[in-house]
Amino acid sequence: MDIKNVLTQLCTADGVSGDEASAASAALSLVSRYTDDCGIDSFYNVFAKIENGGDKRPTLLLDAHIDRVGLIVTYIDDDGFIIASSCGADERMLAAQTVTVHGAKKIKGVVCTLPPHVKKESSGRIVIDTGYNKKQLEGTVAAGDRITVDSAPRTLSDNIFTAPALDDRAGVASILYALELLKGKKLKYDLVVTFTAREETGEDGAKIAAYDSGADLALETDVSFAFTPDAERHECGEMGRGVMIGIAPSLDRRMSNSLIRLAREKEIPYQTEVMNGKTGTNADSISVTGGGIPACTLSIPIKYMHTPVETVCVDDIVATSRLIAEFAAEQGGTLNV
Amino acid sequence: MFDMLKELCACDGCSGDERGVAKYIISQLPQDCEHYIDGLGNLIVTKKGIAVPKNKVILAAHMDEVGFIVTYITDDGYLRFAPVGGINASAVIGRQLHFKNGTVGVIGTKAMHQIPKAEREKEPSFDSLLIDIGASSREEAEKKVAAGDCAYFECGYTEFGDGMIKAKAIDDRIGCAILLLLLKKRLPYDITCVFTVQEEIGTRGAGPAAFSVKPDYALVVETTTACDISGVSAEKRVCGLGKGAVVSYMDKGTIYPKELYNIAFAKAKELELKAQTKTLIAGGNDSSAISVSAGGIPTLALSVPCRYLHSPSCVIKKEDALATASLAAAMFCELCAK
Repeated sequence: MDIKNVLTQLCTADGVSGDEASAASAALSLVSRYTDDCGIDSFYNVFAKIENGGDKRPTLLLDAHIDRVGLIVTYIDDDGFIIASSCGADERMLAAQTVTVHGAKKIKGVVCTLPPHVKKESSGRIVIDTGYNKKQLEGTVAAGDRITVDSAPRTLSDNIFTAPALDDRAGVASILYALELLKGKKLKYDLVVTFTAREETGEDGAKIAAYDSGADLALETDVSFAFTPDAERHECGEMGRGVMIGIAPSLDRRMSNSLIRLAREKEIPYQTEVMNGKTGTNADSISVTGGGIPACTLSIPIKYMHTPVETVCVDDIVATSRLIAEFAAEQGGTLNV
Repeated sequence: MFDMLKELCACDGCSGDERGVAKYIISQLPQDCEHYIDGLGNLIVTKKGIAVPKNKVILAAHMDEVGFIVTYITDDGYLRFAPVGGINASAVIGRQLHFKNGTVGVIGTKAMHQIPKAEREKEPSFDSLLIDIGASSREEAEKKVAAGDCAYFECGYTEFGDGMIKAKAIDDRIGCAILLLLLKKRLPYDITCVFTVQEEIGTRGAGPAAFSVKPDYALVVETTTACDISGVSAEKRVCGLGKGAVVSYMDKGTIYPKELYNIAFAKAKELELKAQTKTLIAGGNDSSAISVSAGGIPTLALSVPCRYLHSPSCVIKKEDALATASLAAAMFCELCAK
């Protein structure tokens, strides 16, 4: 499996929170290589089951979210300019970006900005110029339609890759590659894989999918902050230094310890990410689903989160996949630590 | 014309680095044109017409575009850089830039989650930004990029909406395209077109080019700021898309001769071409240099209204570009015989 190719397929699909159909179908076609027991639920959650056959084993949930940040149309003014709100997107990065408006059909637009030649009056509004007037937009664009910022996936150097929506399509790719590594192997767990909707707007997809999964424990895969020179070292992981194993009051410490032990034993590059409460990932919701599901978060460090130029090191995705695979394998991770 | 515009916008040519644009323009010249490149890099093209004009008239468009120049490479392999020409830093973050050798970089900051809200609302400054080309050390970065190299916005030429075009560098490649279109025609009079350099860093190329040619009149074919967008009051919109060629009486660099201004509107009316003026004294162009060159040259600017100027997404309307091209051709003939 070529990870960059998989990332390109995933990151070129749209799928702003609450409108994940196309991203879900891209992810479904990729996961269907590993099991026939897969599909998309009414919430645009992708699910896939991989059972060992024979004895019933505990169920391990592998989850990553499929939605991405973007914008949502809230109003169309008399001249046809679209007023939009952010669904998680970094509003500082929008000026003069090219966007796609996902209405009845896809149309292109530009985020309005004033040039340096004229004095700026900060409006705090996000305005999109589609080149159409209000009448021409009727029947094509309506309030509630989602908008994505255009940015093509590109390789920066060797294993450094930039694309929009790496949050959390990088996590989706890491689970897919873990399944590739586990192909034909005996497992300690029955696996339920979910690629869930609406994480960016409150983890709603995971709340539903985790309940339906009947999981006994869960491994969440998300992205976290990679160090850039303007950031604080202690607030970031480092790109290229491996998978970030979460340690937090909201995560199951036994799982964290088991993952650290496995990473050491198998010489998988890892770093720890210590948080002092919740994690801001689906693990927060999954862990309190039903009667409670022990959960831990593995994070892939990315730079420039929630922008069109999110950047990842493919080696970190591989390290994450290897650790997931080791945890799920026959001699894998355990809660008995 | 728009096929040429697409190719012109794809050329990378920051101020001081315009050779690639000149090369493309030369490749498009018909056989009956003569050309030379002067010491500064200005491309001067002449073509014989049916008659020798009463007045020598030049048309000028600048070849350079706004971009970025690498000033320093950090120990960690990031690139410090500065804008070449006026660019808002907010139009730079969150996007890809490329170098002529194909190297791609991205510009971002630490994650929004790590920045307090008040700080997030401040306009970023170039001093705080870095280009990330995926290098992990200065040595690795230096294999691809050196200080002094120019970085460019992605071209992204797209036709969209109701006859709109979006791309980088439409300022002033549309002017170059309009001049090329004219040079490809059979003309009633001898013509000289100057494709100038270094407009974006202070209209530096046009003056010497005009000095060498010493015309009686000059027409600058340009783009100009259109702020006809939501949230901008009517008097501050400067000009608007779909309202035709822009003829201004004054901008930040030039007070235009009233006589030429009136001729332009009369000509537009006669030919039923849409034309408008600017409602704000803003911007400037090569006219400021040409008009005071060689003892003074009466100069008029004819501009295509353009939204989001100096960003990677300059937006023009095709019909405005066509109106500007027609008016430029008509004004050329008019001034030749005046």
